[in-house]
Order: sequence, then structure tokens, then C-alpha cells
Amino acid sequence: MSSSEFLESKKPLQVLEKIKESLERLNEKMEIIIELQKHGQRDAQAIPSEAPLDVMTLLSMPDHLRKTAMAVCRMGRATAEEVAQQTKRARAVESAYLNQLVIMGYLKKERKGRKAYFYIEK
Amino acid sequence: MGKIVAVHSYKGGTGKTLISLNLAVTLAKMGKKVCLMDLDFRAPSLSILLKIEKAQYWLNDYLNGSCEIDKVMIDLSLRIAEKDRFYVCPANPSIEAIRDITARDRKWEMRALGRLLFLRNALLKDRAFDYVVFDTSPGLQYSAINAIVAADIVLVATTLDSSDVEGTRMILHGLYDLFEKKAEIVLNKVTFLDSVRVGREKLQKMVKDVYSAPLLEAIPCFCEISKAEGKNIFVHEKPDHPFTKIMYEMATKIEKL
Repeated sequence: MSSSEFLESKKPLQVLEKIKESLERLNEKMEIIIELQKHGQRDAQAIPSEAPLDVMTLLSMPDHLRKTAMAVCRMGRATAEEVAQQTKRARAVESAYLNQLVIMGYLKKERKGRKAYFYIEK
Repeated sequence: MGKIVAVHSYKGGTGKTLISLNLAVTLAKMGKKVCLMDLDFRAPSLSILLKIEKAQYWLNDYLNGSCEIDKVMIDLSLRIAEKDRFYVCPANPSIEAIRDITARDRKWEMRALGRLLFLRNALLKDRAFDYVVFDTSPGLQYSAINAIVAADIVLVATTLDSSDVEGTRMILHGLYDLFEKKAEIVLNKVTFLDSVRVGREKLQKMVKDVYSAPLLEAIPCFCEISKAEGKNIFVHEKPDHPFTKIMYEMATKIEKL
């Protein structure tokens, strides 16, 4: 099916949702690239894949990341949407912070269908 | 849903155990369902104070993941109140257990935090507890910070000793604020007894100025408490003592927080 056929076969709302979803994924990828540049690394291999998210680590984090990390600690496993509900910040903001925490090795990320779940590996 | 209250302090000897035990018992006597937990693993005291000599499982075992919390809880309701009101989770007082917990790594502490956070569901939601009271270790130790993170309210026991005042100011901003915890000051061993009753507003203002945190209660220095040598539950043994009355006032205020 060509893209024009796809567009014709779907309702406008579904098309918009599809675009939104693609933009969100693109945004996540950009965040990862930005974060990797900050670390001055060429690839993710050099960054520790796993770091314990204990209270001393939480204390030494910048305030904005601590708030996100604490919400995941409380929920155990959560989407950016669920974290945003707890922290009362925008979903896109939480998505950026959660991905940062994944790159830093504190959180793990798992995709299930359209949703991305963030959790702490015990 | 119920609340988790952590009793913490910057220094040792400020009366954390006295306050947490007597507060928990007072709440139970008021008809609340309460669980008191000894999170001071380096210097456990509840097992000694409550004369619990043998336990099949300790709170250490729960945090280790070797058992569920039900196995640790000891029902002491009939000692002080009616049925199903007062439970205790003691920490293992043996030297081996203290050594063992002191040597734990960051990953273990992270899991322990997860187990403490899980208590909200396990006790407040599933078992309908009204209060879980954490008696913590002083200062910035792992077990104490884990307890603070898991709590809804932090009662900060402090005295007027100058090093305690400075240290308490430090942890109020460098610890509780960072975790966005509601902290309430409990001023203990106040020597100017009359001023506590007469000048309550003045004392409240003083605490607010010094700590930028609200004063929950001021407890005068009572010789009778020292004389009791921790051999009984004070509020239970001495229902008419001024200390007992203060504990009831404190419990009532906590209800409203």
C-alpha cells in the first residue's frame, strides 16, 4: 500500500495519531543523540549499561531528574504518561528525562506495542 | 489510605525510639491499626524494649528478600490495646546481623528501598493499616534515607544542643526538601518547662525562624522517663503523666496532617 492509499483508507484522527507517534519516537531518538553528545561518547557502549539507583545516587542527581527517578521508584514500572501524571509535568518532558536516565544506566526501557515502559532492574 | 511516618534525627540520643514507640502505642490506643518497624539496624532496640527474645524472621530478612512482611510482624495488640491494633517488626539485634547489614552494597540498598516502598501496598492498602511508624537510625545512613523516601511524613526529633540544631537545619534542606518530604519538628528534652506551655506561640515562631519547618510538638525534659530505664511502654504504664498527654496531642495532630 502506497502512502497516499494509506492516508485515504484511514480516518484523519488515526493519521494524526500515527504522525504524533512517529514524532514522539523521533524526539526520543534525538534526545538520545543529544545525551550521547553530552557524554562525549561516540557510541552507547562506553556508558555504563547498569548503575544502581540507590538513595545516595538519587540525592546527588539534579532536581529535575530526581523527581522523575523517584516516580519510577514508587511505581516500579511506568510509561512517560504515568510518570507525567505523578510529577504534573508534560509527557514530552518526562520522556526526555526518562531516556536520559536510561542512557545514564539507572533505568531500563522496554517497548510493548506502542508503549514504552521504564523500570529499575533489580 | 493510611500513612507512613518516619521518626528521624540528625544526632543519636534525641529520643527517636521513645517517640516512635510511644506514638505508635498511643495511635493504637486511639483505635488505629498500627505497625511499628525498627529500621535502626546498626543499633536495634525494639526487640530489647519490648522483650522479644526470639523471632523466626526479622525485618532484616524481609529487606533481604528471604520472607514476606507477614512473617516478621509480631502481634502485640493484647499487651496494650484491643485485638488487631498493634504490630511490631523488630530488627535482628545479634552482632552477626549488625555486621552483615553494615557491609551491604549499593545494589542491596536499592533493592531494600524497593521492598520498603512496596509496604505501602502490602500494609496500607491490602491489610488496611492506618499507620506504619518507622524508627530510624540517625544521620545520613542508608537505612534512614530509605525510610525517609518511603515515608509520607517525617518527624524530626531534635534537642536544643547547638550541634544538633545546626545538623538538623542541614538535613531539613539537604535531605527532606530534596525528596519533597513533609517534615515536622519534635523538640525534645526542652528544659524551660513553663515556656513550653505558656509561650507556645513564641516557641512555634522560634522553630519556624530557625528551621523553616513547623513545630509539631515540644516535649519537656522528664526525669520520670529516664528513671523508667526503658523497662516499660511509658504511655501505657503512666496514662495520667504529662508526657502521655503530649503523645495524645501529637497523635491527634498527625491525624490532621
